[in-house]
Amino acid sequence: MLSDDQLNEIIVEAENVPSRVVPEKTPVNSSFSMVSSISDIDVTDSQSFGNPDDKKSKQLLRFSTSLNESFLQTLHRSPGSVGIDTSHENIQGQKLIASLIPMTSRDRIKAIRNQPRTMEEKRNLKKMVDKEKSKQSHRILELNCCAQCLNSISRAYRRSKNSLSELLTYISLWQKTFKVIGGKFGTSVLSYFNFLRWLLKFNIFSFIVTFSFIIIPQFTVPEKNTLQFTGLEFFTGAGYFQDTVMYYGFYTNSTVQHGSSGAPYNMQLAYIFTTGAYLIVCFFSLLFSMARNFRNNFINPHIYSRGITKLIFCWDFTITHERAVKLKQKNLSTEIRENLSEIRQENVKLTLNQQLIHVLAHLAAWVVSTGVAIACCVAVYYLAENNSEFLKNHQNPGAVLLLPFLVSCINLATPRLYSLFRLVERYETPRREVYILLIRNIFLKISIIGILCYYWLNIVAQAGEECWETLIGQEIYRLLLMDFVFSLADSLLGEFLRRLIGMQFPTSLGLQEFDIARNVLELIYAQTLVWIGTFFCPLLPFIQMITLFIMFYVKNISLMMNFQPPSKAWRASQMMTFFIFLLFFPSFTGVLCTLAITIWRLKPSADCGPFRGLPFFIHSIYSWIDTLSKRSGYLWVVWIYQNLIGSVHFFFILTLIVLIITYLYWQITEGRKIMIRLLHEQIINEGKDKMFLIEKLAKLQDMEKRANTSSFSMERRDVEQTSPLHVREHNAAHDLRFRRSVQEENPKV
Amino acid sequence: MGNKQTVFTHEQLEAYQDCTFFTRKEIMRLFYRYQDLAPQLVPLDYTSCPDVKVPYELIGSMPELKDNPFRQRIAQVFSDDGDGHMTLDNFLDMFSVMSEMAPRDLKAYYAFKIYDFNDDGYICAWDLEQTVTKLTRGELSAEEVSLVCEKVLGEADGDHDGRLSLEDFQNMILRAPDFLSTFHIRI
Repeated sequence: MLSDDQLNEIIVEAENVPSRVVPEKTPVNSSFSMVSSISDIDVTDSQSFGNPDDKKSKQLLRFSTSLNESFLQTLHRSPGSVGIDTSHENIQGQKLIASLIPMTSRDRIKAIRNQPRTMEEKRNLKKMVDKEKSKQSHRILELNCCAQCLNSISRAYRRSKNSLSELLTYISLWQKTFKVIGGKFGTSVLSYFNFLRWLLKFNIFSFIVTFSFIIIPQFTVPEKNTLQFTGLEFFTGAGYFQDTVMYYGFYTNSTVQHGSSGAPYNMQLAYIFTTGAYLIVCFFSLLFSMARNFRNNFINPHIYSRGITKLIFCWDFTITHERAVKLKQKNLSTEIRENLSEIRQENVKLTLNQQLIHVLAHLAAWVVSTGVAIACCVAVYYLAENNSEFLKNHQNPGAVLLLPFLVSCINLATPRLYSLFRLVERYETPRREVYILLIRNIFLKISIIGILCYYWLNIVAQAGEECWETLIGQEIYRLLLMDFVFSLADSLLGEFLRRLIGMQFPTSLGLQEFDIARNVLELIYAQTLVWIGTFFCPLLPFIQMITLFIMFYVKNISLMMNFQPPSKAWRASQMMTFFIFLLFFPSFTGVLCTLAITIWRLKPSADCGPFRGLPFFIHSIYSWIDTLSKRSGYLWVVWIYQNLIGSVHFFFILTLIVLIITYLYWQITEGRKIMIRLLHEQIINEGKDKMFLIEKLAKLQDMEKRANTSSFSMERRDVEQTSPLHVREHNAAHDLRFRRSVQEENPKV
Repeated sequence: MGNKQTVFTHEQLEAYQDCTFFTRKEIMRLFYRYQDLAPQLVPLDYTSCPDVKVPYELIGSMPELKDNPFRQRIAQVFSDDGDGHMTLDNFLDMFSVMSEMAPRDLKAYYAFKIYDFNDDGYICAWDLEQTVTKLTRGELSAEEVSLVCEKVLGEADGDHDGRLSLEDFQNMILRAPDFLSTFHIRI
């Protein structure tokens, strides 16, 4: 099986480890190490995402091996002798250069950059490699023009990538603000603002796509807007806005054509393809960033330790304000003290009674939280159902805001209720507490969105109303707007009040800390609504863009005025992985399901929108394929559609292949976990061997000393001493051999 | 591209681009930051490779470093003679390693050197005591500090020789995914 071979390869390469790790005193410079290079296989460059093949990482492994050797010898001479030109040095330098030459220029530059050497050494290295390479290329003139072509292409590509990244950093938003926030509050709070900026990029992209392909063509065939404009439209989204590009109902279903020579623009196809295009781009970018985060931040759970080492060695170097640094130092001391006392308490076992109480408390909390979530959903559904009659009775146009108001109140109050459970429940680790709180909150939010979607798709869409898509679009717009208003009020008023109250009673409450989890969940909730709503209200990404922009500045100001830096270490990177996973899994997949049901199962309204008159939305694609099949030049499209997209067999085979590949990769991962454990044990054993040998050496030296100072009885004593020494040596050798044999048995497990 | 700067030759700038994680623009911006630290000392023309060192006191007064508890060690590790006085090369090197583009192994290597106060290639108990004292600013008592050092050695020392080697340190960093984002100085 593939996994066994891979395992053998790794074992072969790893067996070289002991011989190189053992030398008596390896200076720091010499061990840019084997352990790290093995870890390179799993935790390769965070930059090179597009580099998944093992061959490249094996190359890097071999490279750092030879480097290790050359470093070992080079610096064994003398620490500061880099410039001294001994012949031995030259040989080692040649070895290093020789290993660099065959690499492509991109890999070479990356390898040189990653060297732990000073700038001058790197420059000299680069110069020497370039010289050698030019010397060699003089000899090998018939280097294929292919390779030369590739070389110049890769150079041009590299230059364009550099200038592109320069351009991106130039227009990168809010760089200075991030620096200030990071300097005062640290990396954890910064991760929220990073997430906000990342979502903003999504929305900018969606807006550009919908604007160019749907809205602009619609502007060229405007219809008259006969409704009156009152100021209330900004809140209700109805009225004047109903007949603008804002909603689905305004769009024409015809084929736009300007003049007899202009290209025809099919609005139906444009609408559906635009929606599909930006959803696919969002899907892939979410998938890739989730994978990248996961790869960088995943740790083997069985090695996880709640230890103190991470607190000591992971000081946050991004904090630059004096007061923030002092505060962080104080908080660190408190955390260290807590950690020390925790270890003392760890051995206290709970009695059966106490364990039972804990379990009951957990159970009760879960029951209550699920009950509250279900109650909220029922309330929302009930209100939504009776909303239409309620609206007919009350003529006030502002009455449509009642449902969004209720939803926003639920979103405001219930998370705080969940946080109160902390008083009753006791968790082993604070991490578990945060995760469970997050799961409860996301369950609540997703079920509310779910129940609303159910209501919209099953009742509103099939109630026979005119232009039900526009109605749904308006509902979503109102929900988003109310959510935005509530967030603003919370930041500007709520947090401000909380600070005033905190200042009045300085001993008990003090300044509040930024609740990252709650804020990120609000962002995820809003983004889910935007994704669902863009189909019904194409201007929604634009609105969300403005919303996020304003929220950034409001949150920033509120943060600076009302908050203090976090007191506990927050595992920012692991949390971000979890958040992106949440954005992908319940949120985005839910959106895809909703839109899929809409497009495949629902009947578009008969009088408005680009799909009017069709039995299903998807029939626009069917009729397009039909027209294509009548034209001779496009038969390949029809073939792809019928045999690949439309056929069940293709998806079956594809799924089978994907499952097989996943299973193989899973087996490889399991094998590597076993390898890591074995290597860990090996390191421990080598350490024990080292201690034992050092002890023996000390004893031998002791004995020699005694032998030198004594007189003629020396010989007799020697004879007596050496035999137990021999026996001990024997035992030692036996021990070592025994340990090694145990290790060799383990791979068979 | 419009290359209007007169500070470096084209080859020098290319070499800097290839040896650090910075783009051309960032290198120029860093040069001007370096020059601002000591306008009389640092010439505006580096084409002749002048040998100029900015003293540690000015480096340590940069806003990005002045409140960092480890600023002296950082400057010492990246300077040529270990005294904290830095040339432009050292300066660029330092911020390149501390930027967010540097890979984890490179950062771990330099972090190890920073925490190794006595420069012997290992982090021994004395180095740990220095680190903890700098981190907590005298808030912990002496016996708490030694207890902490004991615990750290117990957790991270893989081969049980009473001190941390580079491998132990890198192994421990593997289990700390936050390291990449915290060992980072924005400039």
